[in-house]
Parts: sequence; structure tokens; C-alpha cells
Amino acid sequence: MVGLLDKRLWIVSGKGGVGKSTIAAALALRSARAGRRTLVCEINTQERVSRLLGHQPVGPQVTKLEDNLWAVDVRPQEAMREYALMVLRFETLYKTVFENKVVRYFLRFIPSLQELVLLGKILFHAQEKRPDGQPLWDSIVMDAPATGHAITFLRVPQVLLQTLPPGPMTREAMKMRDILEDPATTAAVLVSLPEEMPVNETLELHAALRDQVRVRTHAAVLNAAFPERFTEDDLEALVDHPELLRVARAHHDRAAQTVLAEVKLERNLHVPVYQVPRIFTPGFGREAIEQVMGHLEPLVTGKAGT
Amino acid sequence: MNALSEALAKKRVLVCVGSGGVGKTTISATLALRSAVDGRSSLVCTIDPAKRLANSLGLHALGNVEAEVPPSALEPLGVKPRGRLHAMMLDMKQTWDDLILKYAPPDKREKILSNRFYQSLSSALAGSQEYIAMEKLWELRTKRNYELIVLDTPPTAHALDFLEAPNRVLDFLDNEAAKWLLTPALAAGKIGLSLFSLGSSYVAKTISKFTGTETLQELAGFMMAIAPMNESFRERARGVRELLEAESTGFVLVTSPGRERLDEVTHFHRLLKQNRMEVVAVVVNRVHPMPAQALWEEAKGLIPARRAKVEETLRELTVLAEQDARGIAEIQAACDGTPLIQVPRFELDVHDIGALWRTARYLIGDEALPSPAALPAAEARR
Repeated sequence: MVGLLDKRLWIVSGKGGVGKSTIAAALALRSARAGRRTLVCEINTQERVSRLLGHQPVGPQVTKLEDNLWAVDVRPQEAMREYALMVLRFETLYKTVFENKVVRYFLRFIPSLQELVLLGKILFHAQEKRPDGQPLWDSIVMDAPATGHAITFLRVPQVLLQTLPPGPMTREAMKMRDILEDPATTAAVLVSLPEEMPVNETLELHAALRDQVRVRTHAAVLNAAFPERFTEDDLEALVDHPELLRVARAHHDRAAQTVLAEVKLERNLHVPVYQVPRIFTPGFGREAIEQVMGHLEPLVTGKAGT
Repeated sequence: MNALSEALAKKRVLVCVGSGGVGKTTISATLALRSAVDGRSSLVCTIDPAKRLANSLGLHALGNVEAEVPPSALEPLGVKPRGRLHAMMLDMKQTWDDLILKYAPPDKREKILSNRFYQSLSSALAGSQEYIAMEKLWELRTKRNYELIVLDTPPTAHALDFLEAPNRVLDFLDNEAAKWLLTPALAAGKIGLSLFSLGSSYVAKTISKFTGTETLQELAGFMMAIAPMNESFRERARGVRELLEAESTGFVLVTSPGRERLDEVTHFHRLLKQNRMEVVAVVVNRVHPMPAQALWEEAKGLIPARRAKVEETLRELTVLAEQDARGIAEIQAACDGTPLIQVPRFELDVHDIGALWRTARYLIGDEALPSPAALPAAEARR
């Protein structure tokens, strides 16, 4: 079975609130532990990943967190500047023109230009090379926006190719589309919870990625899963203890829901589904991420385990 | 009676904001439901296609037009609603098209609707969802006679998006910048004529390297076609801003107790205050309650294997409750002065009408979870 270590761009997405950033942090840490130069990209967010890993927020510059692990928070204004400098090549020209207030307004007219430069920066990193010609980053983990925004975001190359006449932006969009659509390079990991709405939204996201962006779903992660614990006999025996029965039944019902969610995801996505059980650490920080990382070993390596 | 029940009785508009996945849609529907039962005609506008929620309200699906929730859908509650309840789901593309059809000059409608910039604006441009949600709210508030409208807002990846989006889209429509850049073409009155054979400016030349010449030409065409609507859009935007700042409008900030949400809550809260918008309450949804001490005592009477299972479960619930209590204490400190309301995490997903009703009891203060201050005592007893 193919693991994430065989891909270079890992897109982590899902419904809001399902633990995307947690999974992204754990995957990035595991990639670094495998000895791969790993870059985590957050997108114009309140910066969760670096914090989850126990580090200070990194801002818009690529910053080293620890051995083999770097992070960057991709932000619109800085990404726009970098993009413009690449196209125009002269800093003086950039300052004269692009920092003009009127021009800045004007650039906001260009449909999805902000999304283009944000995604463009990440995919620029995916194309960076070392002096020997090898890719600079062995793994790039993208903590993508939540479902609706993720589609708008990842779809921007397609939108531009349909919207704009041929020109510099469409050439850029074509390159970006080619990276996203390359199954040898790019893999999407969809994160869900064992609840009906997150599962349904995961299926919708998968369909949108497949049909609108042509990004392949590599696997699903069922986060905060409940293991089976109470048997029917247990529940019967607790009938004389109504409060304990309520606690046990709640756990039992959620464990059953976990099974249903896994079956539904597997049947509809036709990709492996990996469970990450709930984590019980006093706070939710580095220690929690290490535990999550352990549960994601088969996803990363492709080796059967757990 | 708490801050939220007062708001339900007095406000004309409640806007539910917060990040994705915290239960905004459910809270929005619950607020409208409770208001209708109490006698005010109410409408809930949702964003997410929550089909199960629609079914719970007795509707097959929600569309861009209001649908009345049949009173029979509320029968399981054992109450008779004294006001009518409507629900709808915003359809972004349809709302944009309706705006164009209504306000664009007849000779320009088709040109706008088929323009590639417009198509991107109405369906794919990030921020246009937030903008159109505000537009729709303003239209409903000024043209319908609901006593309460509850608006569920799109989840925003960044707190700033929510309030900046209308400005961003209006900038898109603002003619001034385009006029400054495209004056040569406008003066010539011929879009087909190359912008740059008219002694085009240094700035336009530079930008064309960035975007391509044809993009500028097509954009100029779009700007000319849409120009007659700019004042109308601007007027509506002013209306939206006034509505959001009005005394009869309140914001409900919905979050979950996790500490990873703290920055978002703080950001939203500060941003709303800075923009002079009233935050009625912060709702912390899906809080894990602390298991009662009596449960541990009762577990001691079970056979060992079963006792071990029960105690493991109680330990898990305790850890989760303690985590949530710390998160809530931080939210309380960060949003000092704003009432904080807790809604517990129910055994299963909140979908059916009964679960909405139970949620409503916590929202308006008929039931309450112990406040974080009670936690030390509970810990001492364990």
C-alpha cells in the first residue's frame, strides 16, 4: 500500500472543527521524524499548527521549528509581494506600482487573485530545488481551509483558466493545476468526526475535489473515534443503575456511530480510513500531537499495523 | 431570564458568528424556534446545507426562498407555537443573479450575467459569500415583517473576513480606481481599442505584465457594464452597516470550549466591539459536564470487569470536563463583560426537534451547567 511518504504535497482538509490542524501537525511531525525536510503551510489563519507542536507562531517567513521541520503562515499581502516580485523582478518597480493605494484596490478586482497568490506561494515551495536539483522540501503539509473555502481555494487555478484570457496569470495557473492534479505528487487527507454531518460533508468534499479540482483523496482520518467498550450484557446489567447506564449507553452509542462512520466513509470514498481515538491529556499540546502521530503510522508509511 | 432570552424578546436581528464546526447552524435554528414558540414571527437563514436539520423542521429541503415550518413539526415538543417560524438557506449564486436582474439597467443585464468576471465574483470569489449574506439580511429586514431574523453566517477562516468581506466586494465594484487606470479607454468609448495604443500609462503597462493585456480590457468592459449599479450597491452597503450597528441588532458569538478556539473568540469579540456591534452573548457549545461524585460511589458496587469499564469512562469524562472548564475560564476572562452561556454536549448529534428544544433550554437559562467557579469544590470532593 502506498503511504504519504511516497507523496510530496499533503493536503489536509475537512469540515471546520474536526481537528484538521491537529492531524496536519501530527503528520508533519511524523514526516520530520522520518528524516524528511518538512514544511507545514498554514493559510492566513490564527496559526494553530506551530502552537500545537509547542512552538511560537512563525509568521509569514519560512521558519525552522526543529530538526527537519519548518513552518510558514501564508498571508495575502506578503504572498502578493513575493508573487509580484517574481513576475516583475524589480523591487523598485514593485514599490512604485504595487504599493500604490489605488493599484492595491485595483488588484482586488482580479477574481481570486488573493487565492492565486496564496496557493501560488505554497506551490512555489513545492517547486523549490536544492543546488543538486533535488526538491528542497521532501514533504509539504498544507493545513487547508475548511470544506467550502478549501474548494474555492484549491479550485482557483481552474477558475482563472476559465475566467481569464491567456496571459501571465493563466500560465501560472496552469503550472499550479498540473501540480495539484499529479497523483504522484499530491495527496489529499480528509479529516472527519464520527458524526453524521461531518461524515456527509467529507463525502461532499471528496466529490468536489475529484470533480472540480481533480485532486485525489488518498485517505480519510476519523478523528476522536470511540473504541468499543460496553457490550449489550453490560448495558443490561446496569439497568438498576440508571445514571451509570446513561453514561455507558452514551459511550456505546458513540462507539456504534464510529463503526457506522467508518463503514460509510470506506464504502463511498474507496480509500483507507484511519481512526484516531480521543486523546486524554491535561492540555492539548505537544504530548497530544505525539499520541496522534502514533495512531497515524499506517497512513504515513503505508504499512499495515494497528 | 438571561441576556439571550431578553434578546430573543426584543431584538429584530440576531447574527450568529464563529468559526466552522462549533454548531452555529444548530444554535441559529434553535434561537428562531424558541422565539417563534414564544410568540414572535421568526425566520432562520442558514448557510450550511443541513438537510437533516431541514427535515427536523418538517421541510424537505431549504432553498433561497423562505419556507414555513408547519406547526405539526413542533408537536413532539408538546407546545403550541404562538408565532410562525420560517427557514431558508442562502443560495449565493441565485442571490447575486437576483440582485443583477433587479437593479441592473435592462440593456446591461445579459452582458453582466455572461461576463466572466461576474461569474467568478458570484460563485467563486472568496468573501462574496459573506457579502451576499449581509445583502440578503438587509433585504429581508427591510422588505419583510419578521419580528426576528436569525442569520447563520458562513464559517470564516479568519475573523477579519467576516466584517471585511463587504468592503472587499465593494472595492471590486468601486469605479474610482478603475476609472483612474482605464480613463484612456473610457474616454475613447471603445473597449475593443487597445488600451495601450492610446499612450497608456506606466502603471497600466506594469500591471499588464502581471495580469495580461486582455484581462484589463475585459475588466474595463465589466466595469463599464456594472457602473450604473455602483451607487445602488454602495447604498445597500451603507444600509447593511447601519443595520449591523442598530440597537435592534445583536451578535451571538458561538464557539466550543477548546483552548484552540480562544484566539478566534477573542479576535471576533474585539472586532465586533471595535465596529460598535453589540455582542449579546458568547455561547460555548458542546461543553462536557463534570460527572457527579455519586457515580463513582455507585460504580464501586459493580463486578470488577464492569466497574473497570465504567470507571475508565468516568475518568475520560472528567479529563474532558476539566479541559473544557479551563477553556471556558479563559474565554470568560477574554470576553469580560459579555454574558457567557454554556450548552452541554449531548449524547448524540443535535438534529431532531427535541434536541433543538433541549438546547434552547440552556440558551435561555431555563437550565444551566455549573460555572467554572464550582469546579474547585467538585475537585475537592473527588
